Amino acid sequence: MRLGIPVLDELLGRVPRGKTVTYSIDPEVEGDVFGMQTLYMNLEEGYECAYVTSTMSPESIRNRFKEFGWSVDDFKNFSIVDLYSRYVGAISKERYVVEDPTNLKEIDRIMSRAIEENDLIVFGSLSTILDVCGNETLDYFEEWKDLSKKCVIVSNFTVWPYPNEVLGRVMDLSNAVINIGGIHHRVVLGHYYGILKVDWTDVRGRAVLFKVIKPGGVRAYIPKILVTGPFNAGKTTFVHAISKEAISVDRLGTTVALDHGKVEYKGFTIDIFGTPGQERFDPILRVLGGEALGVILVVDSTKPETFPRAKQMLEKTTKFGLPYVIAANKQDQPKALKPDEIRRLMCLPDDVPIIPTVATEGKGVYEVLDALISLLIGGGYGKLEGKA
Amino acid sequence: MMIKFLGLDVDANNVMVLGPPLSGKSILVRNIVYEKVLEGFGGIYVTTKDTAEDVLRTMEDVDVKVVDCVSKTIFSDAPDTENIKRVSIMDLTGISVRINAFLEEFWKSGRRDVVMVFDSVSTVLMYLNPQMVFRFLHVLTNRMKSFGAFAFYTVDEGMHDEKVVAMLKQLLSGVIELRDDGNSRFFRYISPSKRMEWRRFDIEGREVVIS
Repeated sequence: MRLGIPVLDELLGRVPRGKTVTYSIDPEVEGDVFGMQTLYMNLEEGYECAYVTSTMSPESIRNRFKEFGWSVDDFKNFSIVDLYSRYVGAISKERYVVEDPTNLKEIDRIMSRAIEENDLIVFGSLSTILDVCGNETLDYFEEWKDLSKKCVIVSNFTVWPYPNEVLGRVMDLSNAVINIGGIHHRVVLGHYYGILKVDWTDVRGRAVLFKVIKPGGVRAYIPKILVTGPFNAGKTTFVHAISKEAISVDRLGTTVALDHGKVEYKGFTIDIFGTPGQERFDPILRVLGGEALGVILVVDSTKPETFPRAKQMLEKTTKFGLPYVIAANKQDQPKALKPDEIRRLMCLPDDVPIIPTVATEGKGVYEVLDALISLLIGGGYGKLEGKA
Repeated sequence: MMIKFLGLDVDANNVMVLGPPLSGKSILVRNIVYEKVLEGFGGIYVTTKDTAEDVLRTMEDVDVKVVDCVSKTIFSDAPDTENIKRVSIMDLTGISVRINAFLEEFWKSGRRDVVMVFDSVSTVLMYLNPQMVFRFLHVLTNRMKSFGAFAFYTVDEGMHDEKVVAMLKQLLSGVIELRDDGNSRFFRYISPSKRMEWRRFDIEGREVVIS
């Protein structure tokens, strides 16, 4: 069967029976939709599918599916393994009901039956069962994995700050691990997923940014990075130096609309937009800034008189709190100021990266991108570590 | 960074509001949110005891965002609204995601001053084991610090093991303590750099009044 997630289906193909797939989810990212989407796509293909709920009532689960436009009750091949209702003292009419959701033997009895009778089992939150029942849960999970020769087990697993041995064990027990992470910058500005591990095909790591659409589910999109800076700072040269393919809309050698390039970096496909430097085009900055995930400010290190304009452009594009990096360009020129001097003159905080560049020679441009990507995807919570 | 209310200068991003049952913790934190939202702060109220509608009834004329962890837990599946997001108390990831959604909304609209109330941690500890709750709070308190928001977490004194309260104090960098001697109520604020004297307060209707 397929995972039903954009890009992953192309990279992983069909998941062979007997495999376990784990969605390793940042605690601040709405990741439960991944398991739900996998289940729904396979329901549509006619597979017998069971959803294990341990965090909300069966009614809430059905409504949660409906939020994405997936009416699971239309399918006779859908069932719920209810590990929730009895936990809060409620009655359940589901096909599989665990009378005591804190008792692993009882869970095991019901899970064994569900695994026997279904093609796909999706754990809504394996981490919650682990939290309620303790680390021994993973011993049972290993048994369920051994039992599941004819079915696929997919688990949502929230990566809270667990001890490393727990995270390593989850990694080891999974045939494939998909990391679902957040782009953290004061708040979670965006989300991405990527393959951490897979043992049935040879795939190189690739990261995809996504949005959760209601209705619709997981949708991949291409991130945008804005390259801005004063007139003649070297923005167009920077965009061309960093991109495989780039085009510029210019007149008499200066950009009057925008530069556009595409770069493949650290598994991401990124759209790069260069803005015009002249003030009369400033309204464009706001529009582009509203769409971007991060900003690269290119300054001419030999012209401190342009720094106030550079700061003004930064304020216009980062109004919404976007992370930014400074490219201190034209460092090959004799009068070029060093990054520390630029920081002082522009009154920039110590944590803003200022990277020396010579865009005409392509020097330092990838370091700038690297610094920005680190700001974007750094600072998240534990990832599953292990054999990947 | 500092936040001022009810004559207090609170210098911690994450503050425990600790007191015996019925000592006025919920009313105190509602007053904090109410006062700060009126001043222009973004306000988030995470409720594990009353439904969103009950909370909002006490703060009718201010714009507060509510994460309601009650409605779904008691099997009432009322829909979300612009200001109310509902989630089961067992779904800590869901709570974390919904708080972040409100923070993101504030951030993108340019609002940087935000106050959050989590009322109460004790209810979560009734459903879930302490380790799980600590992990959740570890992530949440870091997010509040990183955003620069001020967050207040109510905890019922005497309901939990001393070790649990000590571990919570490790995560939360300041404490507002409440006590009730039978005739009067008192509170004080303690942080690594501040220790104030007990101050008497009264509750008049929905309001906290400092004597």
